[in-house]
Amino acid sequence: MTTVKPILLAEDNPRDAELALAAMEEHHIADKVVVCHDGAEALDYLYCRGNFATRQQGNPVVVFLDLKMPKVDGLEVLRTIKNDVNLKPIPVVMLTSSREERDLAQSYALGANAYVVKPVEFHQFITAVKELGIFWGVINEPPPEGSDKIK
Amino acid sequence: MESVTQERPSTPVPIRSEAVPDSNPEPTPKTSGPMAWFTHWSIERRVLAGFGLVFAGIVVISAVSYRNTAVLIENSRLDTKSHELIQLLGSVGEALDAAESGHRRYLVTGDESYLKSYRTVVEQMPEYLRYLRGLTNEGPEQQARVPTLEQLIARQLGAEAEAIAQRKEHGYEAVRHLALSGAAKKELEGIHRLMTEFDSAEQRVLHARVAQSAGSMKNTIVLLGLGAVLQLILLASVYFLIHHDVTERRRVATELQRRGELLEAANKELEAFSYSVSHDLRAPLRHIDGYAALLSKAAGEALNDKARRYLQTISDSAKQMGQLIDDLLVFSRMGRQDMLRTTINLDQLVKTVLHDLRLDLQGRTISWTMHPLPNVSGDPAMLRQVFLNLISNALKFTATKAETKIEIGSVSRNSGEAEVFVRDNGVGFDMQYVNKLFGVFQRLHRTDEFEGTGIGLANVRRIIHRHGGRTWAEGAPNQGATFYFSLPLARSLR
Repeated sequence: MTTVKPILLAEDNPRDAELALAAMEEHHIADKVVVCHDGAEALDYLYCRGNFATRQQGNPVVVFLDLKMPKVDGLEVLRTIKNDVNLKPIPVVMLTSSREERDLAQSYALGANAYVVKPVEFHQFITAVKELGIFWGVINEPPPEGSDKIK
Repeated sequence: MESVTQERPSTPVPIRSEAVPDSNPEPTPKTSGPMAWFTHWSIERRVLAGFGLVFAGIVVISAVSYRNTAVLIENSRLDTKSHELIQLLGSVGEALDAAESGHRRYLVTGDESYLKSYRTVVEQMPEYLRYLRGLTNEGPEQQARVPTLEQLIARQLGAEAEAIAQRKEHGYEAVRHLALSGAAKKELEGIHRLMTEFDSAEQRVLHARVAQSAGSMKNTIVLLGLGAVLQLILLASVYFLIHHDVTERRRVATELQRRGELLEAANKELEAFSYSVSHDLRAPLRHIDGYAALLSKAAGEALNDKARRYLQTISDSAKQMGQLIDDLLVFSRMGRQDMLRTTINLDQLVKTVLHDLRLDLQGRTISWTMHPLPNVSGDPAMLRQVFLNLISNALKFTATKAETKIEIGSVSRNSGEAEVFVRDNGVGFDMQYVNKLFGVFQRLHRTDEFEGTGIGLANVRRIIHRHGGRTWAEGAPNQGATFYFSLPLARSLR
């Protein structure tokens, strides 16, 4: 872990985003987080275009994806990621309020790596986000750059 | 079907009460008139009675017509016989006349060629007489005349034979007196008289028979006409009933389809609604709790105890509402989720539920009474939820008791269905609130007495209803409660 890879958080609700950042701040991983406010922006980031045309190259270490977002929703973003050979290796964690069976089934069918329901209780929420951030951002070894070319 | 038939003012089978025999002993104390008992009958019974009467009518008409026709055929046979008899009598009379005049000519001339017709008569008479006996064997009056006729004929022919013999032997002179008047003048006259009697008697019988045939023919035509009318009524009724039934079925099918579509649309709407509840309603709650926590942290020491308590209340309320929403979503999902149907060993199921509840069981002294449970047909996850809710409730509402007793068992009152119960010796409930027990968010105790949102029993009821079973409860304050539910047994699995 020499280069600091960012965590991409796609969350349309600024309060949820702020609470998530507050949770990660407690564990000093908040500065790694890039927040996008809808699916279109998240895709712009991943493809280095629009506002993110000049960002440093490379995939985020993990994508936290809300399901219900304006313009392009979470499932659409997930489908795009998993259908692109360059983006496919990125771990995607669905972070959502929905416990609906249909959403769970669709997300896993499209290749989501994890599915987390946001708890109402703040302490649980903090614990969940913290653990997710630590697991995917620190403990989990991300795929090497260009891993898709090995195949 | 029944209610619709009753809507029609005219019953398809127009049977009047007069047509029904008055033998029905059913007393009619309230309503007056002979129709009273009839109106008490169900539509099916009336239709059946109507069909029965029409059918009986047709059978009677057919029987009478058959008998009439048989009589007509018999009469026509007898008519033929009568005509033959009359003809035969004529022929015999002529033949005897011919023989008589022939034999007289012979007596005068001695020319044997005149005996030809006489000889023919002698030769053929036995045949004629046999024929005559055959034709008269069904009428005793005519039959009685036959021997007399036979005698007379025999005497005539005998006398003539004697005269012929004398003429041959002794010549014309010996029979001269006979040649003029004939040998059997007297007999021949008698024969003719008898034959006239024969003839007129037969004509009389014939006329009577013709009149009878005409009468029964007329009768038969009328009856057949009546039968045709009855059959038309029967056919029309059947057509009417079938037509009515088919129309009704079509209407019901259309109606069912329409309702099904409405229901499906309503379900879709409900699904969208609960989806948005699940997603959108929980976000602000999360924010309330989250920001209250952040505020508490940021203000830190600056807050006094009162302010801290306020913040805590905000946070608790948000959590409670979150719990309510979650419960409601689970409840709604229970109603929509696809159901499995497998055979479930309830004993095994209860064991796993108790294993799941082991944390709640810690530190409690409970005397369990477990009766063997049957195998049922249903969805394992849903029925697990049922036992989890009922046993959790039993544990919850016995927590204040010194000694907890929980009993689980089943009764089988009818085949194909099992009734399972969970009994505790807890705080119980007043039976006057029994109807509220299974309602959504209905609670019979204050929140500070026993925690919970009041969704557990509502879920139990919903799950059991989806399995085609029933739920009910018995209890008394401070004397425990028993919760029952019924489920289809495993062998009725289709």
